[in-house]
Amino acid sequence: MLVYTVRRVLGAIPILLLASVLTFVLIDVSGDPLADLRMQQPPPDPSVIQLQEERLYLDRSMPERYWLWITGIGGNGDIGLLQGKFGPSTQSATYDIGENLFLRLGTTLRLVGAAMVFALGLAVLAGVVSAMRQYSKLDYTLTFIGFLALAMPVFWFAGIMQQAGVGFNELVGSQVFATIGDGTYQAQGQDLWGRITNAFAYMTLPTIVLMLTSFASWSRYQRTSMLEVLNSDYVRLARAKGLPNRVVIRRHALRTALIPLTTVAAVGIAGIIDGAILTERVFQWRGLGEFFIAAVEKNDSYALMAWLLLSGVLVILANLIADLLYGVLDPRIRYE
Amino acid sequence: MTTTEHTSNEGTAAAGTADVVLEVRDLSVTFRSDDGPLPAVREVSYVLRRGEALGIVGESGSGKSVTSMAIMGLLPKGARVEGSAKVLGQEIIGLTDAQISKVRGDKIAMIFQDPLTSLNPVYTIGYQIAEAVLAHRKVGKKAAEARALELLELVGIPNPEQRLRQYPHELSGGMRQRVVIAIAMANEPDVIIADEPTTALDVTVQAQVLEALEAARRETGAALVLITHDLGVVAGHVDRIGVMYGGRLVETGPVEEVFYRPRMPYALGLLGSLPRLDEERHERLTPIVGTPPSLLSLPTGCTFAPRCPMARELCHQEEPRLLAADGSGERVPVAVEDTGAHAAACHFSDELEGARPTDLFRGTAVATEAAEDGAGEALAEVAEGAPGADPEGAADPGTGEVILTVRDLVKHFPIRSKGLLRRRIGEVQAVSGVSLELRERETLALVGESGCGKSTTARLMLQLIRQTSGEVSYRGQPLHTLSPRQMRPLRRDLQLVFQDPFASLDPRMTVSDIIAEPLRIHGQRNGTAKRRVRELLELVGLNPEHGSRYPHEFSGGQRQRIGIARALALNPKVLILDEPVSALDVSIQAGVINLLEDLQDELGLSYLFVSHDLSVVKHIADRVAVMYLGKIVETGTTDQLFGAPAHPYTQALISAIPLPDPVKERTRERIVVTGDVPNPANPPSGCRFRTRCPKFAGELSENERVKCVEEPPELLDRGTGHQDACHYSKAVELI
Repeated sequence: MLVYTVRRVLGAIPILLLASVLTFVLIDVSGDPLADLRMQQPPPDPSVIQLQEERLYLDRSMPERYWLWITGIGGNGDIGLLQGKFGPSTQSATYDIGENLFLRLGTTLRLVGAAMVFALGLAVLAGVVSAMRQYSKLDYTLTFIGFLALAMPVFWFAGIMQQAGVGFNELVGSQVFATIGDGTYQAQGQDLWGRITNAFAYMTLPTIVLMLTSFASWSRYQRTSMLEVLNSDYVRLARAKGLPNRVVIRRHALRTALIPLTTVAAVGIAGIIDGAILTERVFQWRGLGEFFIAAVEKNDSYALMAWLLLSGVLVILANLIADLLYGVLDPRIRYE
Repeated sequence: MTTTEHTSNEGTAAAGTADVVLEVRDLSVTFRSDDGPLPAVREVSYVLRRGEALGIVGESGSGKSVTSMAIMGLLPKGARVEGSAKVLGQEIIGLTDAQISKVRGDKIAMIFQDPLTSLNPVYTIGYQIAEAVLAHRKVGKKAAEARALELLELVGIPNPEQRLRQYPHELSGGMRQRVVIAIAMANEPDVIIADEPTTALDVTVQAQVLEALEAARRETGAALVLITHDLGVVAGHVDRIGVMYGGRLVETGPVEEVFYRPRMPYALGLLGSLPRLDEERHERLTPIVGTPPSLLSLPTGCTFAPRCPMARELCHQEEPRLLAADGSGERVPVAVEDTGAHAAACHFSDELEGARPTDLFRGTAVATEAAEDGAGEALAEVAEGAPGADPEGAADPGTGEVILTVRDLVKHFPIRSKGLLRRRIGEVQAVSGVSLELRERETLALVGESGCGKSTTARLMLQLIRQTSGEVSYRGQPLHTLSPRQMRPLRRDLQLVFQDPFASLDPRMTVSDIIAEPLRIHGQRNGTAKRRVRELLELVGLNPEHGSRYPHEFSGGQRQRIGIARALALNPKVLILDEPVSALDVSIQAGVINLLEDLQDELGLSYLFVSHDLSVVKHIADRVAVMYLGKIVETGTTDQLFGAPAHPYTQALISAIPLPDPVKERTRERIVVTGDVPNPANPPSGCRFRTRCPKFAGELSENERVKCVEEPPELLDRGTGHQDACHYSKAVELI
């Protein structure tokens, strides 16, 4: 198992390197960070532009810039991923991309994490129940809900949920759900109970929005894989051994039926991050989504690279975790 | 239901019901389907006494597996089960899950067909056996594990301590089936139901697993229900037989009675359609006409009547009951408890007294054997033109001109590492130096167990894959140097028939298109192709009108005929038949074998017949080559090889084939091999068979063994074209 783990981790390194190249090239060719400045009327002094070009290292060639971006060697001390610097920002000379990125990451991970946990948990539950009661009314209902959720666009559903939250608050005459903001500020200085109620108020609606699509597709996967396992010979043998139904389901069926879901969920992380951008926008969270939109608007290429690379790392990390989990769940993988 | 007194039959009183462990009465199972109810099992009744072994025999769809699943309560929810099944007097039909799980695995245990899927891949062997113990015994984990170890030893698994900690995928199929047997015997059940326990295994492994099953019975004293389609397997291992057809028991009785004096035409027909190791070849098989009935539209009256050569008016009107002859010549119902009685469900079973399968089925067989769906007349002409009675005919082994030659053929498949680099980390030596000659109008059989390289050799001969080294030539022309383009015109002469008649026909093409495809590829015009397709359909005994149908509308046997017609489309000289009948039911298989024999006589074909089934090979082949781990270990004419096998592997193979004859099967001399086929990526040094060789293990002295370890034996002639590759070969007579 150790060898397997080490091999998987080492295997992630070249992928990460490739991701960094792709990220850099894609952003670098996709626009001029100083476009706004150059378009200004009246035109700014060429020396101003030159100064900005030097500050953003635009006076160097692309390979040089990539090298600089990774190592920071030969820069002004504000660049070099290996040194933990993400490069200068177009937004302002003092804007620290790294500091902002990780601050926002915390906020977004809260949302993405909660959505993942609930989506997975509910998907497994719904999938198993659906499979065990195949073609029952419950199965059909869950199937209907699943497809409905798959069909709903996130931004639209987010808006609906926000309205529903406001409506609910008005109906009960108290602020049960917060529909604007991420609640970071409000949580400061509160005791544990206060933090919990605060988190509930701020997180419930966005989490529901974000988890819904993933829940829908994962529950379908879980249903299929559970059905397959339920009809397998080894589940039949487990019954023939005299194990009671609930033990057969838990120990033999569910345990093996979870294996395919790990891969599907890992791949699904990218989709959740996508969804998070939209959800954060609607609920006005100061998360990675906002960071991303601001960076796009300001042509802030180093911020965009940082964001893209971080997303890439998250996806690679999720796949790595899924691989390792796969190894734990399936002994056939471990020994290969 | 209480035990009823039967005074009509004397056996009843004597036998009593005291030692009955399983009592099944009027068990019926109906599945729901979109096309209406499917009566899969109808009113099956039998009893099983302590320690007794009952064989349930039938073809696919006869309801034999469904019956036992119903008893175990393992059928899906949609199935309606009626009737009664009692284990040690306790009714188990209709129990709740909590109640039946106390019985399952404790009093009644089951073994399934496919050992590769029967064990959960994510738990260790030890865990899965211990789990069965813990489900019923209040013992600690340690004690359960100790029991698991003991059980693994009992079923004959080497290094049991180590095996306990392994996962199923680390064990071979035979090993896994023994683990399943260990699980079944874990709580010393009173009844073990084994559902086709050896069907998925090679013959030598089958013999080992059947031995393990015997050990399980000896150890636990359990009664056995052995469900199988293989009459050979039941002959040697059960006391009584029940034959199932169309969801019913149609004949029951002691094993010798049913085998030697069958009272139901179906049982007689089954025995007649079986190619046998213990009979002279050249005797034509007598297939049963038609196919088993569809459960959706069972015929009124006797379900076998549409296929029965004896059927009369009454048979089509009234379904016969299971009756036995009493002393006075009257036929009376038998009590279920009367396990000594020989009963048959046939209105005219008296007429079967002393009948041989050939007497009964021959007459109808010639005319319609191929016409499984009634295209009888068309075929009659074809069949007449090809009298199967001509024993030697064209094929006088060893005299025809050699047309396909293989010299020192070697094929290595690389094993590559996982990951990006895919480094070569070894190779599977699938074929290691095979030389063969196929002569005109002869059938050369290539036999061996799975993984021995026989299919690879066949594909190399067709140049579907390229050899690592060696030569293949057709009529003196080397094929291995030709480009695919140059090869194409020669492909007309060399055609292939596949094993799986379901997977080898494109389900979205009509049968005509399938058969015409090779014609189109080789540039025939539509009109001629159409005419040719009709000819071919007739030739293989199918109705030419059915060309516009799709493959799924045909039965397995008919589909295999379509595959043969496709192979014949281009008038080939050589047919490579890769396990052409092993996917078919016995009664259907016989028809296809007869067809192949007729076609050979009529069209002057040469066959390379790849098979693991030595009984079929003995019936159809002129010469045989036995393969083991990529090498030919023995070759000779069929008479030489079966009459006086010289290589220990051939001897073991032959003695592992169960004979469908209870007395012969129980009294024959056996040469048993142990273990599994070694990994072909790392074959043993010297003689590749030595790790399993009974001679190496038992007879040879230490000095003699050195030669086996160090020196690979060459294929040497014993004088009359009979060659074997063993340093210490000695011919023996086994059948």
